[in-house]
Amino acid sequence: MNGTAATVGRDIGRMLEALGGLVLVTAFVALVWSEFYVLPALVVSAVVPLGIGYGLRTLFADADDPGKLHGMMVAAAGWFIVAVFGSLPFLLIAWTVELDPAVLAAPAQTSTLAAFTDPLNALFESMSGFTGTGLTMTDNEAVLPRTLQWWRSFIEWVGGVGVIVLTTAILARPGSGSLTLYESEARSEKIHPSIVSTVRTIWWIFVLFTFLSITLLWLVGMPIWGAINHAMTGLATGGFSITDNSIATYDSVAIDFALIPIMTLGSIAFPIHFLILRGDLKNFYTDLQTRWVLGGFTIGSAILWAMVYFGGVYDSAFQALRYGLFQFVSAMSCAGFQTATGDISTNHANVALGTWPAEAQLTVVGGMIVGGAAGSTVGGIKLIRLATLSKGIYHRITDVFYPESAVRRLQIGDRRLDESAARREFEEAAIIAALWFVFLGVAMFVFLLILPDGVYTLENIVFEVASAQGNVGLSAGITGTSMPDLAKVTFLFNMWIGRLEIIPVLVLLRAIFKRGGAYR
Amino acid sequence: MKLDRIPLIGQVINSGADDRVFDALLLAGPLVVVVLALVGRNLVTEGLAAAYLAVFVGYVLYIGLVH
Repeated sequence: MNGTAATVGRDIGRMLEALGGLVLVTAFVALVWSEFYVLPALVVSAVVPLGIGYGLRTLFADADDPGKLHGMMVAAAGWFIVAVFGSLPFLLIAWTVELDPAVLAAPAQTSTLAAFTDPLNALFESMSGFTGTGLTMTDNEAVLPRTLQWWRSFIEWVGGVGVIVLTTAILARPGSGSLTLYESEARSEKIHPSIVSTVRTIWWIFVLFTFLSITLLWLVGMPIWGAINHAMTGLATGGFSITDNSIATYDSVAIDFALIPIMTLGSIAFPIHFLILRGDLKNFYTDLQTRWVLGGFTIGSAILWAMVYFGGVYDSAFQALRYGLFQFVSAMSCAGFQTATGDISTNHANVALGTWPAEAQLTVVGGMIVGGAAGSTVGGIKLIRLATLSKGIYHRITDVFYPESAVRRLQIGDRRLDESAARREFEEAAIIAALWFVFLGVAMFVFLLILPDGVYTLENIVFEVASAQGNVGLSAGITGTSMPDLAKVTFLFNMWIGRLEIIPVLVLLRAIFKRGGAYR
Repeated sequence: MKLDRIPLIGQVINSGADDRVFDALLLAGPLVVVVLALVGRNLVTEGLAAAYLAVFVGYVLYIGLVH
């Protein structure tokens, strides 16, 4: 076993141990709800990753600290493996109910739960959860066992901050290795000089905001179980729901508007939350990304409101505001909660997103592709890259108007970058943005090939693919158990690369193919 | 016995914004949720929930003003 495999194996082992711990926490929820029939499935789902994780960590205990290559491979392989083992509760609970052993007294099987007897559906749900996407293989979440409702919310909540961030916080290992892993999980901002202190503070903020969000949702009328689950998935900008029809089920203006600040909190970077909690409120407008988050939400919602109101989708300006504002914030924050779900032929007070005019759907797509702030819980390309690209392009164009000897700096937020730093950041943003659109295009091509003709429009497909890759979870109606297996596999890949911002997955695939001799 | 030597409470106090009010809100959070879940919705629990949120919002504004 060479050094790379040992380092990667040891750190993936630690991630699997953390996953086993999450499943054990979920067993407590099963006890609270008296769902004793799920316990054997949960015990197996916990013991398997714990055992494998412990074995890997012990076997490779003396492995070197991870370098940049290892970090990317751990992040990419670790997230995939965590999604695989995280699918066990779905798979095993579904099979427990399907086989109905007399001693466990399981309830009757439902078509919703039966979908998870297919390992691909279980893996899809797990990957969607951990990546904070929210696209689902269920057709009625309300009939799922409470334990699985919790598991879906819990993995989104953990995935919102990051599996590696969780592992680092629990199994603290000071040193350069933790920093490398932290950065490979699409994070770079540090709150404290120590990476362990940084991740603990991130969790401190996240847990505090979770309790505040639960309390707010309960106060505006959501039942407590819904408030707990939707606060977790809303703050993590994941978007899983425990109801049949997402947030539309409640049909409550107060709940719709209460979720807006929760999704907004999830879209702002943790270091900014930290500064605000230290009394530095001016960061709301001095921090570039936070300013753009709030500005983007406002401008995008206003445009969407105008499109759905003046386009005749909604009869009243308030209804257009209610649904336009919620759906744009839900899209750009990558939460993916849905309130616009009605049937246009029978109900003009609430019209499903998939039947909105093409320009309105594409406006929502724009929000999904951009996303919120880097260093938050959102997906998408991230605002800092949009800022870098737009300012970098302007910088390049205006460069022509200056003499060659002129020394120019690129100002991004409060940073003034010299020529080489500006080129490096612009290049990184351009590469990720380009790859983002390449993989969007590939997935769209696959969907155009395999979906039946005439059922879905092109804007529906663009919408769904952008939603999967941006880890958003809004659906134009394509995602479901009836989707072809190739489409599910394509979305699995899109969700995976979207969460890790593509590069680590490509590095992992290159390493696998190179070592396997698939090319060269 | 010092609070920061108690497991979990110590971790909460030693992480985050180094502010005892926010630490207290974080530690009180699970208790508030359990009370809301067990007692259900009535005037007292609604008052408790409103007070919990009001303390947070009010304190953020307060420290922002004195900063």
